[in-house]
Amino acid sequence: MEQSAAYEGQQVYHPKGWWGHYVFSQDHKIIALQYTCVALAIGLTGMFLSLMMRMQLGFPGLFDSIDAGNYYQDVTMHGMIMVIYLLTALFLGGFGNYLIPLMLGSRDMAFPFVNMLSFWVYFLSVIILSASFFVPSGPTGAGWTLYPPQSILEGTPGGDGAGILLMLISLAVFIIAFTMGGLNYITTVLQSRARGMTLMRMPLIIWCIFLATFLGLLAFPALFVGAIMLTFDRVLETSFFMPEIFKGGEVLDYGGGSPVLFQHLFWFFGHPEVYIIALPAFGIISELISCHARKNIFGYNMMVWALVAIAGISFIVWAHHMYVAGMNPYLGFFFATTTLIIAVPTAIKVYNWVLTLWHANIKMTVPMLYCLAFLITFLIGGLTGLFLGNVSVDVPLSDTYFVVGHFHMVMAVSPVLALYGGLYHWFPSVTGRMLDDRLGKIHFWITFVGTYLIYFPMHYIGFLGVPRRYYSNEQYDFIPQSVADLNQFITICALIVGASQFILLYNFVNSTIRGKKASKNPWGACTLEWQTLESPPGHGNWGDQLPVVYRWPYDYGLPGATADFVPQNVPDEQIT
Amino acid sequence: MDRHNPINSEPGILNLSHAQVFVYMLLAVITILFLFLTNAYVFRMNFEDWQPLPMPSLLWVNTCSLVVASMGMAWATRGAKKKNQTSLKTGLLLGGLFALFFLTGQFWAWQQLVEYGYLLANNPANTFFYLITALHGLHISCGVVAWMVITKKSWNPNTDTPSPSQVSLLATYWHYLLLIWVMMFGLFLST
Repeated sequence: MEQSAAYEGQQVYHPKGWWGHYVFSQDHKIIALQYTCVALAIGLTGMFLSLMMRMQLGFPGLFDSIDAGNYYQDVTMHGMIMVIYLLTALFLGGFGNYLIPLMLGSRDMAFPFVNMLSFWVYFLSVIILSASFFVPSGPTGAGWTLYPPQSILEGTPGGDGAGILLMLISLAVFIIAFTMGGLNYITTVLQSRARGMTLMRMPLIIWCIFLATFLGLLAFPALFVGAIMLTFDRVLETSFFMPEIFKGGEVLDYGGGSPVLFQHLFWFFGHPEVYIIALPAFGIISELISCHARKNIFGYNMMVWALVAIAGISFIVWAHHMYVAGMNPYLGFFFATTTLIIAVPTAIKVYNWVLTLWHANIKMTVPMLYCLAFLITFLIGGLTGLFLGNVSVDVPLSDTYFVVGHFHMVMAVSPVLALYGGLYHWFPSVTGRMLDDRLGKIHFWITFVGTYLIYFPMHYIGFLGVPRRYYSNEQYDFIPQSVADLNQFITICALIVGASQFILLYNFVNSTIRGKKASKNPWGACTLEWQTLESPPGHGNWGDQLPVVYRWPYDYGLPGATADFVPQNVPDEQIT
Repeated sequence: MDRHNPINSEPGILNLSHAQVFVYMLLAVITILFLFLTNAYVFRMNFEDWQPLPMPSLLWVNTCSLVVASMGMAWATRGAKKKNQTSLKTGLLLGGLFALFFLTGQFWAWQQLVEYGYLLANNPANTFFYLITALHGLHISCGVVAWMVITKKSWNPNTDTPSPSQVSLLATYWHYLLLIWVMMFGLFLST
């Protein structure tokens, strides 16, 4: 393989001592691992909270310790942790940090020190968030959307203490961390590509992370502004969002504010946030599906432009979360239309994945299983999204379990399936060992089938009109007994799926120590992260010379080549 | 050789340096931040309880300070490009000191408003004024930290003088925050 003749002379930061190597490291690979471990740890907490909620819904009253107050606290923290502190951090901080420099043929991020700072500030935000579990009256129970006025009033669960304040501060700190990381990803993608790695030769996952970062940088300021203004309303008793409120016959100091203003700010961030999570998942699927089906990705250019279109349109759909907030019907019509339009580029992507599989040499590896599961799940979640995008259908279904079923399918299960596929795929690159295949398949089937058993019945419960966020369904005549039975069933499934995640954890730990040694490029992938001199890649990634790129990242089954793949850094004359 | 642009890499976008891409993107994020504040301001001012507050005339003096600071930075950039140490140092000093004047002046303007009884929580117009000026001041303060690093470098005989591109980026940040202040001040005056 030809490498550049010239020595690049690029200086790379060299760590000093154990602390410099593993703790305050500026190496993107270590920072990626740090992000991944912290995100998975807080994600496990989020999963535990969801199991607590399920215990209450499936077996009401079984646990005395779960009362209405801490049920709402669990709901709130589960939502916020999973969306922001697990998925956003893991996809961009974890996968983004690991893959951007390696896949682009760079030595590190453009600004390694800022990158390190980004992780530690993120860690601080997680600590602040976790601290709210330990303050008197616990974390906020305002729901993950933190809608005022109730989110900052004292009657709300956790509202007497510092819970809401810690949540708002933690979000602001997270956004600062994300901005530092995000500016780094953008600069690295635009500026630090190996020779020959043109923008249209970048692997699709890099496009996805790049665009998701853009979305984040432009959308998070809305949440930042909302969080600061809400903090003012809470601490200084201003009235940005607070209308006149009567409590026990007395007027509170607030007055004149608009809760809907917060909803606009929140969802201007909130909807792009869906794509901040979905786009990296799309990217992982694009890489995995092409590699494990041994076939080039179908319609690369179309895929890139579809991504750009999704990213653009995602900024003009936000108010479809607010149809029942008393919005002008014409505005609802506009947002319903844009919501349906965004389905077009998304469908292009799904078709292209399916067409990539058409007549492909599909290997039923664990990553491929996750890809197939993602395709089906994302399709189902997307289709129920079309229901909810229409105002007239959304209004009766709003705030029912149908919505819970929909968004868990499309932005919880789907990204997590992609995430697991990605973890199985890139684990050998990180550790030099393979994950256990048998355990992987057991974990996959329990997770895949289990999540369907959990979320499918929720659509049915939603159609019956069962409201979400209710602590107990026992005292309502319109809710039939079958809902209680289904809830029991769902809870049992959730417990099994929850427990099965420990198979993955065991597999991680066991395979890191005792796993089968991986070859340098175990999946036969074309992308650069598998073409490093050492495996796992060493500090500086590329030894003395940066790679040179001669082709796009999906040259599988190239006519005339003996091997069924040609890596990106192999020139035409060296193809055998 | 620029450590970030080894000869074996693809050229960066539009021939920009790493630092330029970083700072320009940062300015884009800051723009979005103030855009959202403006949106919220305009949304909220249509409600009945909105009572505009008088702008202290000191704010005009502060605006002039920020203009002088920006001019100082432009002078420093010219000095750095022409390797003229005197203009570099004088320009940097003017830029930094007048930015500090601006911050002090803004604080003073707050004091005046408090004395006249325009307290933060009295009216949403007041709250927006304090919030927006505080966030703008915070961004200026962060710039002052970068200014201290670069100014120290230009005075320290043991280190290289700051490169023209560094000084120029600092100046860009200064000009941009001036622009944002002018827009925000305009918003306050016109509403």
